[in-house]
Amino acid sequence: MQKTLDSLFVCFAWLAGLVTVGMVGLLVGFLIWRGAGTLGLELFFADTPPAAALLGRQPVFDGLWPAVAGTLLLVITSSVISIPLGVASGVYLAEYASGRWRALLGLGVDLLAGIPSIVMGLFGFSMILLLRKTLLPSANTCLLLAAVCLALLVLPYVIRTTQTAMESLPGHLRLIGPALGMTRGQNIRHVLLPGAGRGILSGAILAVGRTAEDTAVILMTGVVATGGIPQRLSDKFEALPFTIFYLAANHADRAELNRAFGAALVLLALTGILFAMAYWLQRTLERRWKGRI
Amino acid sequence: MERADLSPREPSVQIADLAVHFAGRAALHGINLTLEAGQMTVVIGPSGSGKTTLLRAINRLNECFPNCRTVGTVRIRLDGRWVDAYRDFRPVAELRRRVGMVFQTPNVLPCSIEKNLSIPLIRVAGLSKSRLPGRIEWALREVELWDEVKDRLRHNALTLSGGQQQRLCLARALALKPQVLLLDEPTASLDFRATQKIERLLLKLRDRYTILAISHSLGQTRRLADRVIVLRDGRLAEQFDREHLEDAETFEALLEEIF
Amino acid sequence: MISTPRRSRSTLSGERWLRGLLLAATLVSTVAVFSILGFLVYFCLPLADPARLAAVASCTWQPFQGQFGILPMVVGSLSLAAGALVLAFPMGVGICCLAHGLAPRAVARALLVLIHFMASIPTVIYAFVSVFLLVPLMRQWFERGSGFSLLSAALTLAVLVLPTIVLLIHIRFEQIDPPLRLASAALGFSPAGELLWVILPLSGRGLAAAAVLGFGRAIGDTMISLMVAGNAPQFPTSMLDSIRTLTAQIALVVATDSQTPAYHSIFACGLILFLATGVVSLTIRRLRLPSRESLFHAKNA
Repeated sequence: MQKTLDSLFVCFAWLAGLVTVGMVGLLVGFLIWRGAGTLGLELFFADTPPAAALLGRQPVFDGLWPAVAGTLLLVITSSVISIPLGVASGVYLAEYASGRWRALLGLGVDLLAGIPSIVMGLFGFSMILLLRKTLLPSANTCLLLAAVCLALLVLPYVIRTTQTAMESLPGHLRLIGPALGMTRGQNIRHVLLPGAGRGILSGAILAVGRTAEDTAVILMTGVVATGGIPQRLSDKFEALPFTIFYLAANHADRAELNRAFGAALVLLALTGILFAMAYWLQRTLERRWKGRI
Repeated sequence: MERADLSPREPSVQIADLAVHFAGRAALHGINLTLEAGQMTVVIGPSGSGKTTLLRAINRLNECFPNCRTVGTVRIRLDGRWVDAYRDFRPVAELRRRVGMVFQTPNVLPCSIEKNLSIPLIRVAGLSKSRLPGRIEWALREVELWDEVKDRLRHNALTLSGGQQQRLCLARALALKPQVLLLDEPTASLDFRATQKIERLLLKLRDRYTILAISHSLGQTRRLADRVIVLRDGRLAEQFDREHLEDAETFEALLEEIF
Repeated sequence: MISTPRRSRSTLSGERWLRGLLLAATLVSTVAVFSILGFLVYFCLPLADPARLAAVASCTWQPFQGQFGILPMVVGSLSLAAGALVLAFPMGVGICCLAHGLAPRAVARALLVLIHFMASIPTVIYAFVSVFLLVPLMRQWFERGSGFSLLSAALTLAVLVLPTIVLLIHIRFEQIDPPLRLASAALGFSPAGELLWVILPLSGRGLAAAAVLGFGRAIGDTMISLMVAGNAPQFPTSMLDSIRTLTAQIALVVATDSQTPAYHSIFACGLILFLATGVVSLTIRRLRLPSRESLFHAKNA
């Protein structure tokens, strides 16, 4: 009886594992099968000369380039906000905050982390509604708004990875600065932050991945299906995940559907590379501290 | 601590040409050893000499660690029949049930005192629910813990003191009715009084089990051991019998020589 | 007397500045949460009127006939999240057990890397593949409807929340497992027995946290429900029915640019989602509070 139960349980666990591996294999395989053939310069630039497109001299129609550029600009703008803010905040929570403050501020971070991205998008959208009613009647959804909302979305992520990286530093490292007569700030800047650097960087990279993949926020804050490359922060923009979503429902012909598969494969490769980088950093980090203790 | 019964005893565990390697490095080699029923054998030796590995070779706990390879034989007499620990047990769980083990630090399960005993009894020994309370009481009485905890069996085991936790671990092993007991420095993490109590218990138990214990305390070794074996660099360096232990000076001199 | 170097005064004020700056950065999160709540409440205010409230808290969504009921979406969201959780939770437990003793080390490691990788796959890609792979299959197998259904969405969503569940249970197992593994083995537990009778029963909080967070992730998801669930604003009567979730509702209404009353109803949807995920976050915090088990780790450390 006991033994049958045990072996049933083992069978179930292996089944769960195999199904999961199978599903991921199927997903990646399917995308490669349908998308690999579309990869090439034509997927990105269609019939526009790539050099002209890259320099912005000629607009690209029927290619992914504007979406890729839009995603890149979005990620850069958003990360410029979220990463410094998140690292600062994580350092504060790990090194300065204590007792009640720490619990209270931590609660804010946890609540922010739980907010669904569509609600974050709705927040951005409602800010525009309010601005239109009050200060700026011409306000409209745009790249900057999307970047700010995405920054808020991934902020808790950066904060928590920074905090964890700082808190898991070995105790002896923490004493180096004070023993040399450094102030708290100096110790953080010169000893702790470099020590936690790789952990923070790996968190930041995953946050970049989250920024690049999110669709619900930009859906509400200014993404468009065809808009070219944004010239200013107040412009509308295209983005890879939105292109995938849009083409999945609105492809007019086989070529557009193929473009959607190509876009999906490109996005998967992008997040896959970011994941591999973050994973590698994390691994080397673990090894380093394990070697020291 | 004289005992009336000093008649020759029957062998209970036979270890022959035992060698244990971890990732290609030998932790133990060339071990030949016979343990006798009703006797307590104490293993001493510098740290890293393979004491714990020797104990874990008997209940095959070394296999829980990666890249472990064991050669040689370990035979155990269970219910009057000799069985090979490395061949005759599939799965290995039955062996481990019959060979109880207590660790350096008390590792009670983070649940109630009662559950600490009942989970292994039900799940490993397959004891029926009706026989459970009797067995639990018996085991707790064996370690003289019953009177201390009988009114709070449902309390978390972590509320017990270190010494009580260690006795609970001993009771947990005894409840499964083992024939061999492996004690890996059972008093290492305890204070003086708790240590005394455990030592008293072990003296009481040693007639009924085959005990193999590790100790770092020479005083304790003298108080408890029927036989002492010394390990050095994974080899069996020396063995003393009780007679050598009786004479304090010879013992000290021998140990001096060893360390 | 000890002479203080001149530098120290400026360093001290620098310290204070740094500290203030970091605190300001930390306050951003809290301020953001309150602003989001504030905005949602502010735009929901027009619904304080009983007649309008009744219109929104009703069962029919037909904006062109002036009916803005969001109850079907509430039910849609709940049933989709529950369905995904029912599928993903046992799988998550199974995978965690595989990674903690049932599978060889190399397999366990690889499996955990795969789970981390799954967490990094964009949601829109899960939804996209589902639309072109799972939905046609569903249409064939059940020969009913379009294949865009509660079941399809729940299956896809289960894959999305699986990593969340696995990683949370994994954290709990990591805490409990190592100190008890040898003890359990010495008592004669097989790896399966140890997991089934020792580790799992002792991981109650971890399992609860995983289920709650998985539910939170599922209910907050937009892209899968928007692309796979079919978006029909109705109460589901079977797993093959098309449903619309609160998240999809927000996306759809903003996209179609309806009239004002419809707008207000999406803020109500947003508020419901905000409160639901808020409850989830608070529950997780409660489950993370130092438990009696932490005493155990302190002693074994």
